[in-house]
Amino acid sequence: MSFKDTRRTLLKGAGAGIATLALGTYGRAALAADKDTVTIAWPSDVPSWDPQQRLVPDAQSIYKAVFDQPLEQNAGMALTPHVAKKWNLSADGKTLELEFRDDVLWHDGSKFTAADFRFGWFERIQRKDAIDLGRVWNEVTDIQVASPTRAVVTMSQAKPTALQWLAFMGNFVVPRDYMEKVGLDGFRAKPIGSGPYRLAEYQLNSRIVLERNDQYWGPKPKVRRVIIEIVKDPSARVAAIQSGKADLALNLPVREVDRLSKTAGLSGEFNPIPRLILMHARNDMGFADENVRLAAHHAIDKQALSKAFYNGKAVPLSMVSTPGTPAFDPGFKFSYDPKLAQSLLAKAGFGPSKPLKIKLATTNGNFPGDFDIARAIAAMWKKVGIDAEVDVIEYAKYFELNRGRKLPEATIYSWDNATGDPEIFTGYLLNPKKPFTPWRGEEEGKRVLALESVVDYKKRVEGYRDFEKYAVEHGATIPLLQSVQTLVRKRDLQYQKYRSGIVYLQSLAWK
Amino acid sequence: MLLAVSVLLFVVLRLIPVDPLALSVSPNATVEEIEKIRHEMGFDRPIVAQYWLWLKGALRFDFGRSIYHRESVASLIARTLPASIELAALAILVATVLGLAGGLTLFHVRGTRKEPVLDVASIAILSLPEFLWGLFFILLFGVHWALLPFTGRLSPEYSMPAARTGFLLLDTLLAGRPDMFADAMLHMILPALALGVGFSPAIMRVLRSSLQDVYAEDYIRQARLRGIGEVQILLRHAAKNAILPALTLMGVQFGFLFGGTLLIELIYSYPGMGNMMVEAVRNADLPVIQAVGLVYCIAVLSINGLVDAAYSMLNPKLRPR
Repeated sequence: MSFKDTRRTLLKGAGAGIATLALGTYGRAALAADKDTVTIAWPSDVPSWDPQQRLVPDAQSIYKAVFDQPLEQNAGMALTPHVAKKWNLSADGKTLELEFRDDVLWHDGSKFTAADFRFGWFERIQRKDAIDLGRVWNEVTDIQVASPTRAVVTMSQAKPTALQWLAFMGNFVVPRDYMEKVGLDGFRAKPIGSGPYRLAEYQLNSRIVLERNDQYWGPKPKVRRVIIEIVKDPSARVAAIQSGKADLALNLPVREVDRLSKTAGLSGEFNPIPRLILMHARNDMGFADENVRLAAHHAIDKQALSKAFYNGKAVPLSMVSTPGTPAFDPGFKFSYDPKLAQSLLAKAGFGPSKPLKIKLATTNGNFPGDFDIARAIAAMWKKVGIDAEVDVIEYAKYFELNRGRKLPEATIYSWDNATGDPEIFTGYLLNPKKPFTPWRGEEEGKRVLALESVVDYKKRVEGYRDFEKYAVEHGATIPLLQSVQTLVRKRDLQYQKYRSGIVYLQSLAWK
Repeated sequence: MLLAVSVLLFVVLRLIPVDPLALSVSPNATVEEIEKIRHEMGFDRPIVAQYWLWLKGALRFDFGRSIYHRESVASLIARTLPASIELAALAILVATVLGLAGGLTLFHVRGTRKEPVLDVASIAILSLPEFLWGLFFILLFGVHWALLPFTGRLSPEYSMPAARTGFLLLDTLLAGRPDMFADAMLHMILPALALGVGFSPAIMRVLRSSLQDVYAEDYIRQARLRGIGEVQILLRHAAKNAILPALTLMGVQFGFLFGGTLLIELIYSYPGMGNMMVEAVRNADLPVIQAVGLVYCIAVLSINGLVDAAYSMLNPKLRPR
């Protein structure tokens, strides 16, 4: 055997050896499906490991696994005790008393106290930490720590939704002593919470590994380890669940969920969630006339939109709230009636032979089907005499355009509200003081601002319910659909479904 | 050059009609609060003043804080750049090997029935963008054959080793973990292939064309007359000279290859700078976009520099006397 032959053989052998080692390693990994572990293909990363920093709906499920909140919501979206076991909001909505559990431990073994609550909801805001929580609680004037388990929050103005917010985005308890010791950057790099899972590993934009917290004060999760693969591309998420690399995948294209549902061992779900798809309207320019706005609304076949883009799973809406939420009235319907649309447009002097020309803005890819819905609506409007030019905008540009009054007559928008509270639906979406709506109608503005200070829950919900109907009947807003969460999981993986749409990782379990 | 690129990037990013604060402030921020933050972050100052502030910081490797993450941009880049460099390096290797081997093969089969088939195949490969290759490889190797992983850098049972160099492949070897090294390499195969395969046809075709020119030279005829075999002539005489135009092309292409990491990293959930850049663009995170754009520029310049050096080595006429 010559030297060349020996070298060639050696190289081939080495190559084969490395390949065998590598594939063997990978093969072992693939085969060893651990029933103590769940792998999830998740669509987005957390913006930061400071849970009070950003109000981001997509991160809530992950934050809720690692951090606790003062209050929680049950599967039906009703508020329940959590770290706070008792509470009382005063009749004027300016004072909130909270009594906390005394068995809550941080992941480093130290105890949660009311001082931690004061730190998160007052001290951090006062010293101007860059946290979105500060904007939610900017009316807090002080938090008295009456005892290690009791805090009294005093506010400069009524906050009727104080309790709802305590179970909502950004409202997570953080450890004061640990955060002060390691600093904010240190905390973000190595966060600790008090939740049912602790953060074991984090790779930016790639992977989050959670390990069960066996010292958790509440029910222990059944799954010891949750691996969250951050798979931003929807096709890759489909591939992950289809290949078995993931046990559960979220936010998949609707058609893929249908297809995967027929795959042995997989179960596809369409879960209606409190997320609205609506059309914001202006009360000037081409939409100045109420008849035009109502015509635009009557001309939209919402059932057809749901069928075309959500396989019929998205629920058509007539109100700016979703079924099952307190202000929703299932008896209130706004009809699809193209003939009525045409007659209303005729009153305004428009029709198919003399169409009204307007613009319809939409994002493209901000939420599933946004651009397609806009194009479909433009086509529906064309039939009745509204000629809409579809204009694509970036979500980041929406607020700037709105502040500069540069949004067009109509804009497709999406809104999440896991609390279901009507203030966080209509109270935000139609509030002229907030950056979301281009609507500047005086009557609507007066009504929504008045509702902000109604503390009595029943009166407040009734008030919002009536206001929503009024707003829709006068074309101040055009609700379209209730969105659905798409989810595919392995059939033997169970989890508790929550109407809020939040996937509670601590509820995962293998059959 | 870097200064010019930084100015261009800065001005363009400030002129595009996107409010960088739009996604950084909470939903219920008032107009007054937003303007206050704008002032605190310096976004209301003249562009020249903003640039000067940025430049002073950049010279100290302080690129400001990410609007979205509220974390130092420099630390974000430090966490993600090594991953992108490793991926790009492997992709360049793939593109080079496939390109050179393919070019030699294309030339070798000239005049045969195989030539038009391989020709069309190379054009077809060239016409598909790298992200489509990325998705195709996931479907084929990840789902259908289930041979290779397609998310992340390591299998779930491995924890990231201590970041001694920041380069995972090196760190796994330094940690004495060949199994982890092999696993990391496996995770890089598909994204590197997706990136590299799209760049190889151009190299193939240029090399083939260049070989055709070289084969018209007298020394090739003389080599044949001396009884040297065709394979030896191709590999030991012609290839060395024919590779130079291909090398020039590679220098240009590999600059683009680095930019191609954006979509590939996104598709493969690969935690590199490209993935971070896509997120920054979605969130209008100007400080991140600015800094990452500059880093890409440095990467392209470095790659061109390396190619120029290789060119000098291979072309004796360019070596200093």
